[in-house]
Amino acid sequence: MSLNEVWERASASPYTPLISKDSQFALGFTLLLSAIILTGLFGLNRSFLSIASFGVPASLAFGFGAVYMICAVGVYV
Amino acid sequence: MRPITAFAALCGFFLSSSSLVCAQSSFKPPQTFKNVNLVRNINLEKGYARETVNVVVENVDKEPQSTYYLAFPSDVFDKVGGLEVRDRKAPEKGPLAVDALSVDTPSDVQYFAVDLPKPLAPKSQVTLGISYYLLSSLSPRPAAINQADKQYLTYSFSAYTLSAYPTVTQKTKLKLPSTNVPDYTTTSGLKSGSDPERQGTTYTYGPYDTTEVAPGTTYPITVRYEFTKPVITASLLERDLEVSHWGGNLATEERYWLRNNGSTLVNQFSRVEWTLTNFQQLPSSAIRELKYPLKPGSVDPYFIDDIGNVSTSRYRPGKPPKRDGSLELRPRYPVFGGWNYSFRIGWNNELSAFLRRVAGSESYVLKVPFIEGPRMPEGVQYEKVVVRVILPEGARNVRYETIETASNNGLPPADQITFHVSPHKTFMDTLGRTALTLTVENLSDEARDSQLLVTYDYSFWDGMRKPVTITAGLLTAFAAAWAIGNIDVSIKKR
Repeated sequence: MSLNEVWERASASPYTPLISKDSQFALGFTLLLSAIILTGLFGLNRSFLSIASFGVPASLAFGFGAVYMICAVGVYV
Repeated sequence: MRPITAFAALCGFFLSSSSLVCAQSSFKPPQTFKNVNLVRNINLEKGYARETVNVVVENVDKEPQSTYYLAFPSDVFDKVGGLEVRDRKAPEKGPLAVDALSVDTPSDVQYFAVDLPKPLAPKSQVTLGISYYLLSSLSPRPAAINQADKQYLTYSFSAYTLSAYPTVTQKTKLKLPSTNVPDYTTTSGLKSGSDPERQGTTYTYGPYDTTEVAPGTTYPITVRYEFTKPVITASLLERDLEVSHWGGNLATEERYWLRNNGSTLVNQFSRVEWTLTNFQQLPSSAIRELKYPLKPGSVDPYFIDDIGNVSTSRYRPGKPPKRDGSLELRPRYPVFGGWNYSFRIGWNNELSAFLRRVAGSESYVLKVPFIEGPRMPEGVQYEKVVVRVILPEGARNVRYETIETASNNGLPPADQITFHVSPHKTFMDTLGRTALTLTVENLSDEARDSQLLVTYDYSFWDGMRKPVTITAGLLTAFAAAWAIGNIDVSIKKR
């Protein structure tokens, strides 16, 4: 099967990202802000329980927030 | 069977490209065909020559034959671009396979081998449509002019089309861009009546009865005509297409190294004279402006050269889904003959118009223009084009294809496009992105509408690599802060 046939057959499923370009900044900013707040809360009480309750969500928020923020400012990774 | 010696077979073994077949310099194609009728159209309306040869070929051998050889003078051979051969009676079947025959030592004539779709029976005929363009084939005469002077180009060719086989009748039609043709060769003794016959901007040499003329005989002809337009040549075009699944974006960047191959200036450049020419909108041999159509929905264009942002550009966004955007670029200075200008432009597009997911799998298919480039009436020739498709990090099983259309798509045969897949590291990458690099020599703006298809596999977890890496990094920092905070460093009695 030629690649052109593959393209034609896939006409019903154009790729759309989970988050559209317009919402990237809002989402990235929110996630990064929450990452900073959660990091601050972790800093108040650096216990093992805090890593689970604040550290893990802060890391996840920072991981995804950084990816969306770099896209929002025009460096599409 | 192609008459290539054991030496040639050995050469072919060592060559990586299947398109290049070695032959000894003494190689002569077997005289198994004759050209019953040959009509050559030469179009000089752009800054490079475009030729179309329609030829009725007859097998004069006793055996069926399947390889037809196209002859080109050696000095022209390396400038041939977008060579395509079709069966004129079945053009929809696509172009025929063409191999370039390289020689180990210089010779006057070099050949392309055309594989006919099925062997041609003795005494039967086939009509071939051969189209190609010749880069850097036009030379300015005079080579140096004043700034506001008219520019003239010359083109030299042979009245007898170079062929590996005897030709019964032939003629050449020449299409020029203007009626101002100060010099052209008039032949004598080739046919009765005046030669060439002139009709507006079309000159017809022939028809000639060349049954008795040996193949390879030449009769030099030169035309000199007005072409007060720039001869735009890109010595190199690098084109990057960057696919971002996270951003839903296709980022394009093109880097041009432009040159004007027209007449150089006799005197120093005069800004006053240039302003006058510009004010009166007179034709000029300088590159004044490049009009660059962009796909509908293109956003964020930029135009940068070695100094920085070039503010003399204008962008009119198109209306999706149909109307193209228009990017009008004015170089920092008018580019006269012999002058260079290098710059980069770039823009973004929504990925959804170019990328589709293959249903029920983790495969994606990307369809993008092979080259875009300015659309100018005088044409643009590209000596070398490097197209790099940067796929997301972790993309595997990369395959590509160029789309063949009902008419010449301006691209060379697929096996004359060299490719390699390599990692490309940039922002937020751990392994590096998968980059498919395609290199083509001798292209022109005829290839503007050609399309490139790329398929690749890319799983959900490949996409998660970036956020997971950053998450893991920060989590490590938290764990380290906790672990270090637990170390008892107080000064007390233990």
